[in-house]
Amino acid sequence: MNGADVTHAMLKNIRALNVVVVHPQDQDGDELGAQLQRIGCKFQVFWPELDVLPVGTDLVLLAVRPETLSLRYPWMHRAATPPVIPILTFENPITLAAVLQLDAFTTIASPVRSAGLLTAIAVTMNQSKTRRARERYIERLEQKSVHHRIIQQATQIIMESRGLSEGEAYQLLRSQAMIKRESIESIASSLVKAQAALSF
Amino acid sequence: MYDSKPIKIGVLYSSTGVTSAVELTQQRAILLAVEEVNAAGGVLGRELQLICLDPACTPHRYASLTEKLVVEHAVRLIMGCYMSSTRKAVIPIVERHNALLFYATPYEGFEYSHNVFYAGAAPNQNILPLADFMLSKYGSRVAMVGSDYTCPYEANRVMSDLIYERGGEKVSEIYLPLDAGLESFKDVAARINAKQPDFIFSTVVGDGIPHLHRALAHAGLDPYTMPIASHMTCEAEVVAMGADLAEGIITCASYFQSVDTAENHRSVRRYKARFGDELVTNMCWEAAYFQMHLLADAIRRAGSDDPTLVARVLPGLEFDAPQGRVRIDEHNNHAYLHPRIGQCNSDGQFNVIASAPGRVKADPYVVSHSPPGWSTHVEGAVVPPEGP
Repeated sequence: MNGADVTHAMLKNIRALNVVVVHPQDQDGDELGAQLQRIGCKFQVFWPELDVLPVGTDLVLLAVRPETLSLRYPWMHRAATPPVIPILTFENPITLAAVLQLDAFTTIASPVRSAGLLTAIAVTMNQSKTRRARERYIERLEQKSVHHRIIQQATQIIMESRGLSEGEAYQLLRSQAMIKRESIESIASSLVKAQAALSF
Repeated sequence: MYDSKPIKIGVLYSSTGVTSAVELTQQRAILLAVEEVNAAGGVLGRELQLICLDPACTPHRYASLTEKLVVEHAVRLIMGCYMSSTRKAVIPIVERHNALLFYATPYEGFEYSHNVFYAGAAPNQNILPLADFMLSKYGSRVAMVGSDYTCPYEANRVMSDLIYERGGEKVSEIYLPLDAGLESFKDVAARINAKQPDFIFSTVVGDGIPHLHRALAHAGLDPYTMPIASHMTCEAEVVAMGADLAEGIITCASYFQSVDTAENHRSVRRYKARFGDELVTNMCWEAAYFQMHLLADAIRRAGSDDPTLVARVLPGLEFDAPQGRVRIDEHNNHAYLHPRIGQCNSDGQFNVIASAPGRVKADPYVVSHSPPGWSTHVEGAVVPPEGP
C-alpha cells in the first residue's frame, strides 16, 4: 500500500476503534459521547479514576482538570499506552504543563463542539502510527550501530593479533561466520568477549 | 412610569455555600447599582429588573441555572460566578446562547471569551504587586498555604517564580481541601512555625481563612513580624473572622472600603443607608457595582439590551468607579484597575500602604511576570501599632 492507501485504510477503520473516555458527566462529557456515537466508535466512560485500561483500547480521551492534576493513571507512559487526546477546560501554565506530559498530538478545548473531534481522532491515530514506525526504525538503527561497533572492535583485534590489514581482517571474520553458519555480529561479539576475558 | 417592558438581568451569586459571604456582598452591590440606575429613570426609558437565583457554590448548578435564565426567563445578560470552576461551567452555555457573563471577581487569568467581561484583577494586577511588595519588604523565605483548587496553584506558581528570581526560598507549599477543619490548619501552623519564614503567602479561601488565622495565632505567631499576605482575603473575610483575627494581614486589591475618592464615599454611604450601617464593602463588591453601572451605560449606548450590540460598545468604555476611573480593554475584555497594597487594622479596615501610580492594564496571558516597578518606590513603610 502507498501512503494515501494507508491513510484511507486508517480513516475507514475509525469506526472499529475502541475509545476510552475519562471525563465527567457534564455538558462536555455529553457532547463527546454523542459525537463519538455519531462517528460510530465504540467507547466506555470512566471518571475520575481508571486504574486498568480495558484490553484493546486504541485511544483515550482524557479530561485534564485542576481537580485531577494530582491523579496518577498507572497505565500512562508505558510502551503500549494508546495515544491520548487531552480535553482542556483551563489554559493556565499548570494545566499546560500537565498536558505536555501526555505526549499528545492534538488537544480538544472546552466547550467541546461536535466539529473537530473526528479530525482530532484522525490526526492522532495517524501521528501515533507514524511515531510507532519511527520508534521501530530508530530501534533498528540503534541495533545496527551497536553491531557495527562490535564488528569494528573484532576487526581491530584480528588486525593486531594477526598483523592483517582492515580489509583482510574483515574478510577473515566473514569467512568464519560462513563456515560456522552464524551471523557476522555473533562471531564478532564472541571474539570481543573472549578478548575481554583474556585481558586481565 | 416606564414606557416599555423592563430589561431583565440574571444574577448568579450564592446565598448558601462556602463562598456565599462574599457573593452576597456582590449581589447587594448589584442591587444598589440597579436601584441607582432605576432611580435616575432607568435605561432607554426601561426599568432594570434583576432575576436572582441561588447556585449554592456548585458548578453544575451554575450551569443549569444559566440555562434556566436563558430558556425560561429569556435573559441573556448575566452577572455572577465566583470560583473559577463556576465560571468555567457557565462559559459553554453563554457561548452557545450568545449570552454575556459579567464576572466581578479576581481570578488566575489565562482566559478570554467573547461572551465574558472580567472586572476583577488578573494576576499582574494583584499577585504580582503583592509578591513584589512582600519580597522587598519582608524577605524571600516564604511559606505557602492554599486551598486545593486552581487559583492557589496558579498564584503559587507566580509567587515561586518571583521568589526564585531573588534567590529566595519556598520553605513549604501546602494545600488543604476546601472543607478542611481547624485541626488541619493547626498542623499547618506548627509546620510553618518550625520553619520561621519571612512571611506567609495564603491562598486559602472561604471558611478556611478564619481557621488559618486562628491556628497561626494559637501557634503564637505575630502577624506584624511574620505577616500573612493574601490577595484572596478582603473585608468580607475580615468581617467573617473578626478584626482581632485578621489584623496585620496584607493584601493587594484594586479597592478597599477605605479608598479615599468622592465616588467611594458616596456609594459606601448609599450602601449602608440601603442595607445597614454595619455592612462593609470589599473589592468584589466594588467590581460588581461598577460592572453593573458599566452594563447599564453600555445598554444605553447600544440603544438595546441585545448581547451582540452590548458587547460591541463595552470595549473601551470607562467609568468613575469607587476605586478610580476604570476602563474595559479593547482586546481582552478585562479591566484597567488601580492596584493598592493594604494592611488590615484593628477596626477591620485596610490601611493603604502603597498604591500604583496609575491604572494598570490587565495582562491575563502573561506567563513570566516582571516586577511592576512601583511598590518599592512608594513611601510608607508598614508601621506596627504602638505597644504590645
